[in-house]
This record gives sequence, C-alpha cells and structure tokens, in this order.
Amino acid sequence: MKMQVQLNVNDTTHQLEIDANATLLEVLRNLTRHQSVHRSCEEGECGACTVLMDGQPVNSCLILAASVQGNRIMTVEGLMKGDTLHPLMKAFTDELGLQCGFCTPGMVMSAYALVNQWEEEVLSDMDIRKAIEGNLCRCTGYVNIVKSIRRAKAAKDAGNWW
Amino acid sequence: MKNFIGSRAIPDLVYHCPENMEQLMDLLGHIQGHFKIVAGCTDFIPAVRGGRWAFDDGLELIDIKKIPELKYVTLDGDRIRIGGATPLSMIIGAPAIKERAPGLAHGLTTMASPQVRNVGTIGGNICMSSPAADAVPSLLVLDAQVIINGNQGEEKSPLDRFFLGPGRNIMAPDQVLTEINFPAPAANESQHFQKVGTRDAVVISIVSAASWLKVDNGKCQGVRIAMGSVAPTPVRLPGAEALLVGNSLTLDAIDACAKHASQEITPITDLRGSADYRRDLAYTLTKRTLTACMNDLM
Repeated sequence: MKMQVQLNVNDTTHQLEIDANATLLEVLRNLTRHQSVHRSCEEGECGACTVLMDGQPVNSCLILAASVQGNRIMTVEGLMKGDTLHPLMKAFTDELGLQCGFCTPGMVMSAYALVNQWEEEVLSDMDIRKAIEGNLCRCTGYVNIVKSIRRAKAAKDAGNWW
Repeated sequence: MKNFIGSRAIPDLVYHCPENMEQLMDLLGHIQGHFKIVAGCTDFIPAVRGGRWAFDDGLELIDIKKIPELKYVTLDGDRIRIGGATPLSMIIGAPAIKERAPGLAHGLTTMASPQVRNVGTIGGNICMSSPAADAVPSLLVLDAQVIINGNQGEEKSPLDRFFLGPGRNIMAPDQVLTEINFPAPAANESQHFQKVGTRDAVVISIVSAASWLKVDNGKCQGVRIAMGSVAPTPVRLPGAEALLVGNSLTLDAIDACAKHASQEITPITDLRGSADYRRDLAYTLTKRTLTACMNDLM
C-alpha cells in the first residue's frame, strides 16, 4: 500500500510517497538518492547500510521507512561540509582505512557515533572493535580502520570536529 | 519475488503505528485479516526475507515501538521493571540496570550488533521465542516474570513457563508483552552470561549459558543455571542447580555441577554444531559462568 511520509535526512525534510513495505535502505537509495547507503545482506549481518537515527547507528535494511517519521536520519553525505571531508573521513583516507570502499560509509557512521559520543579520555582498541562489530569489511582491513578511528579521536581531542 | 541474493520481498502491508496503549487495544479489538505485532522489526524483516514467515494474503502490521507506555526501565521497590518495547541499548544504558544488574547489562551487550541493539527490543527477543534467544538465559536466571496484555485482560507468567517450543509461546496473536520484571539482585548475588558462535557479533549462538549465584558465608544459598540452543526452548537446569544449593562453593563442586548440566540438556545436531559439541560447550560455559560468579562474591 502506498503512503505519504515525511523523512528528515541530513536535516532536509523530504515529502515522499512510499510503499508501506519499503525499508529505509530502499527509500534512501531509490527515492532520496543517498547512494552512500549500501545494500548488501539485507538482514543486519554486514552493516554496509548503517545510518544514524537520532544519533545512534542502525541498520537501514531492518527498518521500515514508514516507521522513521519524526526521527532524524543521517548518512555520510551529512558529515560533509560542502566539499570538505569530515575529520573522521579525512582520518580514514590518511590511515588507508578503506580498500574497496564498499563497507566504508557504514563503517564511518558507526565510528562517528562512537567518537562523537565518547566522553572518556582513553578510547581503547577493544572499545573501537566493539563499536564496529556490526560492520563487516571483506577486504579485512580492520587494522587500518581501527587506526583511522583512533586518529579521528585524536582529531576530536584537538578540537577538529563537527 | 526474490531479489538478486535470493531473499524474498517484504509482503505488501498496511502499516499501523498506534501512539498509546488505548489506540493499540482499540486496533486489536477490530482489526481484520492477517496481522502481526512488531516492535524493532530486526527479526521480523529477516524472517520474511528468509521465507520463515510468509504472508501471501497481505499483512496488517502493527508497530508498537512508538508507544511510550511500553518503553521504560525502572527500579520499583525491590523489582526491576522493563517495558516490552524497550530497545536493548536503552536497557544496557539504564542506571537501574548498570547499578543493580550489571550481569544482565553485560549479557545484553553480547547480543547482535550496536545497530541491532539500538532498535531491537527485549520483548521482541522473548516473543520470537527462538531456542537461541540470547536475552532469555540471563532473564531466566533472574527468575523473571512477564506481563502480557490484551483485550481479554492482563496475565502474568513466570518466564520459564512462557515458551512452548521453537518460535512458540503462550501468547495469542492479539496479545502484547507489556513488561518483564525480576527481583533486583542484592550485593551477595552475581550473574554471568557467555555464548559461543562462529563470530562474536551478529551470530546465532551454538550454545549460550547464564548462571546466577547467591552466596552466604562461603556457602551457596541459591543457584540458577539457564541455557539457550540446547533444547526446543531456552531452559533452566534444575538438576544441576540442586547439586550446588546449600553446599560449600569449590571448583570441584562447580565442575560436578557443570558435568551434570551437560547431561541434563537435550541438544540436537544441526548446521551450527553437533549434539556432542553442544554438550562439551554446555559443560565449559556452565563452569566458566559459575566460576565467574563465585569470583565476584568470594
């Protein structure tokens, strides 16, 4: 069944007509054209479709688009300031935290939620690994991904963060 | 219709999103045709995509996750009460759980992934009634009770009488699990949960085990052991528990108890593991969780 919804994606409100059975992933990719949100396993195993909902990472493949009215959705496009990379994205490029890049947008969103909300001084590698446990990198580039997130934490500590 | 990786499309559905209990009860009173109550949808979507559930005649979907009366974690006297549609991450972060039941918080942290814990609810994990439900052993050892509500009125049931078989429980389709509650653990009680799977995150447990101990003067005043993926439902192991209660807590006593636990279960061989492997795991996990509890208390 078709239904009218209002979705807030990266602080832009979209008025859309969607199928009631459409997942947030499908709506983001096909209707609002946020194609950084990658479609892969569609059952919550891989994390490639991770977006933030009210600041918390969620699998957009496991959420019906109809149910996120009133929530704020954020994708990696929302991290950019114009053409400038977010310090976290810069950290991923500096530390070679991506290889094929398919898992990267989801990985970045999980990492953003972690670093953005981390209030303690020390962020251990175990904390990082626990935070990205729902994101699979089939290039197995985890070591550099963890390094990237550590670098992002340092950038945040230095005041370079938004 | 199947997509490119062989999973099925979500059936055509009518989406209902009641905003409070009154609207929900009203909806349940007059809804026609196939309907399903969901909360987080983190299990519902894989179930329909994987073909475990089929709704050929369409589906009325009732989403209860926006009902505020079903989302809470409170310490009420000496009981901790958790609303049925409370997301797992909200439970893990709740002060009442952090302070009074850190063992439960740790158990829930091993479930799925941060993404799923932010959306998936405790009631959903219980109502899906998977033998491998990872929240359930931790709740069974807390002697939890569930409250079920519907237009026929409210019912209470101990959690260990709730499950009837794989995916089956005592609830009718038009009932909602509104609350799960349990006695807040005291200072001389401890619980631990461990599971084994092929990956630490997002995995269906091959075996999961939770233990709870209450100790007084070096003696075991109370013990509860529960396991997942070793029987048609998550189970308590009264035989193994009886071996420890009232006795001095020693590593030998724990070992004997764990051996008994591995024989008390009725595991099957499936693609995740053989029955023999599951018995070995049951022994090891019982021993590890009981020892961890003992180390907390003595």
